[in-house]
Amino acid sequence: MHEMSIALEVCRITESQVGREALPRVREVGLVVGTTSGVEPDNLLFCLEALLMRPPFLHARLNLDVIPGDDLRVSYLEVDDDDPPN
Amino acid sequence: MTIRRIEVRERVMERNDALAREVRARLRAAGVTALNLVSSPGSGKTLLLERTLQDLGEDLRFAVVTGDVQTQNDADRLARWTDDLVQAVVTGGACHLDARQVTMALEAVELETLDILFIENVGNLVCPASWDLGEAEKVVVFSVTEGEDKPLKYPKMFREARHVILNKMDLLPHVPFDVERAVAAAREVNPDLEFFFTSALTGEGMAGWYDFLRSHVRRLSGAGV
Repeated sequence: MHEMSIALEVCRITESQVGREALPRVREVGLVVGTTSGVEPDNLLFCLEALLMRPPFLHARLNLDVIPGDDLRVSYLEVDDDDPPN
Repeated sequence: MTIRRIEVRERVMERNDALAREVRARLRAAGVTALNLVSSPGSGKTLLLERTLQDLGEDLRFAVVTGDVQTQNDADRLARWTDDLVQAVVTGGACHLDARQVTMALEAVELETLDILFIENVGNLVCPASWDLGEAEKVVVFSVTEGEDKPLKYPKMFREARHVILNKMDLLPHVPFDVERAVAAAREVNPDLEFFFTSALTGEGMAGWYDFLRSHVRRLSGAGV
């Protein structure tokens, strides 16, 4: 039920890493979701895919890695530095 | 096309948890015990707090932060029983309180004069389990009008808590609720859980809960209460 809050926090972490102007050039967001983290992976995928396809993002993919345990973290980001910013 | 990979490894909850750590440090410095009351809607959290404020209000100093999706009805109910502060957080749709909201609510609270801070979370056994609010512990309020298997359905909440209040015990003769089965279900997900059996309506069993609150205060103040 709180997956949208989590999704927005993932977007905030991404922005803090790359800066707002680089968000359209983010190509992939790697996320680790533990099976007992209290987050439903499909629901989070649904929320985040919607956010990552609209401004300030353009077309970032989500790579969601479901693992055992409580972990819930942004593991990596991929940015296309050649893509001209909008 | 040059793809640059940035290793991040940042926990999604880190910002919340950093705020929660600050809240916890402030509460500890001020000698305040914070209890985060979580439950499904309608388990009796507000009535339990009303009776607690009424019965212990002369001995201990309380403040309450209530969270609801809409209305400040609970805060209004509680404010009748205490001269101390009751702060309402209207989440406007969100299903849980987060540490930022508690931080803002505490701006209006004089922690130094307090013994206990109650945080009455949004009625929801799912989402509040994921948010650390800086509390000393989460207390689950569970009631005999619910299913005995609720701890198995919502295990994260029962794992995060240390105490369970099984409330509405006055209704036990009228409902097909098996207390032993409920306790067993809760201990299946968290063997360390301890129980209080109460009726906030009649006052039955509240003494054990009050002893627990006093023991928390004694531990922090080092003085007899």
